[in-house]
Amino acid sequence: MTHSSSPLAARVRHVEALLESRGLVDPVELDRALEAFLARASPANGARIVARAWVSDEFRARLLDDAGAALADVGLSMGGGLQVQRLCVVENTPAVHNVVVCTLCSCYPIALLGPSPTWYKSPAYRAQVVRDPRGVLESFGFSPDGEIAVWDANAETRYMVLPMRPGGTEGWDEERLAGLVTRNGLIGVAPV
Amino acid sequence: MFQVGDRVRTSAAAVPHHTRLPAYARGCAGTVVGVEGRWPLADARAQGAVVVQPVYTVRFSASELFGAGSHSVTLSMWEEYLT
Amino acid sequence: MSRMHDVGGADGFGPIVEEPDEPPFHSDWEAHVFAMNRALVAGGVYNLDEFRDAVEQLPGYLTSSYYENWFNAMCALLVRKGVLSADEVDHVPGG
Repeated sequence: MTHSSSPLAARVRHVEALLESRGLVDPVELDRALEAFLARASPANGARIVARAWVSDEFRARLLDDAGAALADVGLSMGGGLQVQRLCVVENTPAVHNVVVCTLCSCYPIALLGPSPTWYKSPAYRAQVVRDPRGVLESFGFSPDGEIAVWDANAETRYMVLPMRPGGTEGWDEERLAGLVTRNGLIGVAPV
Repeated sequence: MFQVGDRVRTSAAAVPHHTRLPAYARGCAGTVVGVEGRWPLADARAQGAVVVQPVYTVRFSASELFGAGSHSVTLSMWEEYLT
Repeated sequence: MSRMHDVGGADGFGPIVEEPDEPPFHSDWEAHVFAMNRALVAGGVYNLDEFRDAVEQLPGYLTSSYYENWFNAMCALLVRKGVLSADEVDHVPGG
């Protein structure tokens, strides 16, 4: 927690009480909505999608064509966001490695994956990754082969990376494969 | 209206209001690689107005954007950002 | 003139710092700011672009934390929309 968090916490409680007195927020409903959001939205959703795409070429093709529609196959949706958003899944191959950013703020498939990490929202990442993605990936200890494609989520499309399936995982089931997938892999700053 | 494969150029002018055209991509040439449908223009919605326009997926080379680099950067562009 | 948030391609922001096992929120107040903002947007008090516009114009944008910016933008919009007065927002009991 930051040094300023304590006075800030008091200010937040104060404004919440004012909004409650105006009938604009209900603290019980706020807690319930937050709990439901965190239970529904997490990187585990992305891991399930990736694992399904690794075992099913048919699902992978539909995911890359229209990710929003393909999500229903794994019981997920882009619903629950504040404004309608389009999901686009970009596939890593030996020739192209994808990495995602929002240079203007912090756009991310939050309704699906939960809040993004602080580094993703930092000016340092947002500034550097569009100009020097290889340098950024090296700072994460990762040097992919092939060309790099950066996706700046500056409008209503939210991006998720489909990493390459690691070697030596032949015959693994979806659950075990999903366990390999990390949030950084879904952003594109890790191999998986 | 633009189609996939069209060469386009982004507006070079800075605007005195909220916009989703980043400064680094202003006045740059790119290629339309996708069509995303019609979406409310962020610039207008930030001012309480609804203006719906086609949005295109546009790919730029790093050398076009920054004068160096071998990667690409892909952004979404409302129609009025492009010529 | 670009606003301070428009950082793509810029130099001078230092290294990218990753926090191991970062939780979704670091403290209750962050989660409450997140939840209140969702409720206010869902309730039509302001829309997401108005919110981004307000964040971008914060004088402390680059020096405050992410959710501190959210909270300050939320307060600025609530005042601008006439939902709360600046006096009542600033008058924190015991503050």
